[in-house]
Amino acid sequence: MRKDEIDRILDQAVRDLPSGDDRAAIGHVQRAILKDLKPARPLPALWVFTLAFVSLFVAFAVASASTLGLHGIRVLSMGQRWSIFSLLLFTGWLAAVSSARAMRPASGMPLGWLALVSAGGAFPVLFALVFRGYGTLNFVHEGVPCLVAGLCVAIPTGLATVWILRRGFVMDWSRSGLGAGVLAGLTGLFMLELHCPNLKAIHVMVWHVAVVVVSGMAGFAIGMIADHFRGRIPERSTRP
Amino acid sequence: MGAEDESASLRVEEDPMIPTPSAQDPAPSLGLELLMSGYQQADEQAASALIDRVSPLLLRYFWVHAFHRGDAEDLLQDTWMRIHRARHTYRKGSPVLPWIFAIARHTGLDHYRKARRVEIREMQVDPLPEIAHPPSDLPPGGSDGKIAELDAILAHLPASQREVILMLKVTGMTVEEVARATASSAGSVKQKAHRAYQKLRVVLGREARDK
Repeated sequence: MRKDEIDRILDQAVRDLPSGDDRAAIGHVQRAILKDLKPARPLPALWVFTLAFVSLFVAFAVASASTLGLHGIRVLSMGQRWSIFSLLLFTGWLAAVSSARAMRPASGMPLGWLALVSAGGAFPVLFALVFRGYGTLNFVHEGVPCLVAGLCVAIPTGLATVWILRRGFVMDWSRSGLGAGVLAGLTGLFMLELHCPNLKAIHVMVWHVAVVVVSGMAGFAIGMIADHFRGRIPERSTRP
Repeated sequence: MGAEDESASLRVEEDPMIPTPSAQDPAPSLGLELLMSGYQQADEQAASALIDRVSPLLLRYFWVHAFHRGDAEDLLQDTWMRIHRARHTYRKGSPVLPWIFAIARHTGLDHYRKARRVEIREMQVDPLPEIAHPPSDLPPGGSDGKIAELDAILAHLPASQREVILMLKVTGMTVEEVARATASSAGSVKQKAHRAYQKLRVVLGREARDK
C-alpha cells in the first residue's frame, strides 16, 4: 500500500467525522465563560521569568554563603573558580529555562530531566578533574553537614520558585517540580562551593552533588503528589 | 521515503477544518490570534467567536480520543474552564491552536488518569450487563460509526503515534504546531508520523489483501 493511499483513507475517515458543531455543548461553554469574563493581564515574556529564576538562584546562593562565610571560594584557584562557576551558571540557566517554560502551555520542550542529568553527570566529572583526594576518613562525618546545609538553602529557593511558577499556568507539576527542584539544588551546590573549604574530590563529588540530585528528585515526587491530588479535586463544571 | 517528505505531506494547511464563520459572526475576518487577544481583554464578542470556532475542532479531537460523546462534551467544558484560567499565559501574536491543544491534551490525560484510578478501585461483584450497542457494532453509516471507523484505523498505533496523527489530521495543525502542543521537537513529531505511516502501511495493506 502506497503512502498516498494511506493519506486518502485517513483523510476520508476524518472528512466523514461529524462536524463537531454541537450547539448545546458550545452554548453551555459560552454562557459559563461570558458570565465570568474579566480582563486578564498577559504574562511577561519567558526571558523575564528565566532572568527572575537565574537572579533568585544567584541571590539565594550568594546571600546564604555570605552569611555562613565565604571560606570555599578563597581556597579555590582561578582555574577551579572559572570552571566550577561557569558550569553552575550554565546548569542554573538550563533549570531556569525549564521552570519558565513550565509556566506557559505550548512554550517548548521541558528541560528538567536534561538539567538534572547535566548537573548529576557533569559536576562529578568536573570535580574529579579539578580536585584530588579520595580518602574516606571522616567521609560521612564531614559530608552530612554539607548535605544538610545545601538542602537548607534549597528549600527556600524551591518555595520561592513555586511561588513564581504559580503566576503562570502549570499543567504538569511533576515535570515542573523536577525543574524547580534542580534549580533549588543547584542553589545549594552554589552556596557550598562558595562556603565549604573541603576540597577533597570524594567529598565534593558525593555530598555536594547529592544536594542537586536529592532536591531534584524531591521536587519531582512533590510534583507527582500535587498532580495526584489535583486530579482528585473535581474541576468546576460549566454545566448550568 | 524519508520522514521529512512523509510528514510534509501530512500538513493540512489549506483545509485547517476550522468552520467558516457564519454571517452573524461579529468578527468574521479576525484570525484566531486576534480573537484570543480580544478574549484576554474581556471582549465578549471575541470570546464568543473564539469558542464558536475552536470548540468543533476540540470536540472532534475528543470524540476520537475518548470515543464517547458524553465524555467528549465533559472534556470540552473542562478544557474551556482551564483555558479561561490560563488565558493570561497566552502570548499575543503566537499561534493559538498549539496553546489550546496543549491544554486540551493535558485535560484528556488527567481525565484518563482519573478514569484509571476509578477503574482500579471499583470491585466487580456482578457480571457486567450486556452493552446494547458495543462500539464494533455501531452502524457504519451513523456519526458514531464514522468515529468508530477512524478509531479502528488508529487503534493499530501506539498512543504517542496515534496522538500525532490525530493532531495532524483532525486539527489541521502543522508539524511545528503539533510539536509545540505536545512539548516535543518537530523532528520527534516527524519521526512518530513516519513510523505511524509505516505501521499503517503494513496493517492496512494486510487488511486490503484479506478482503
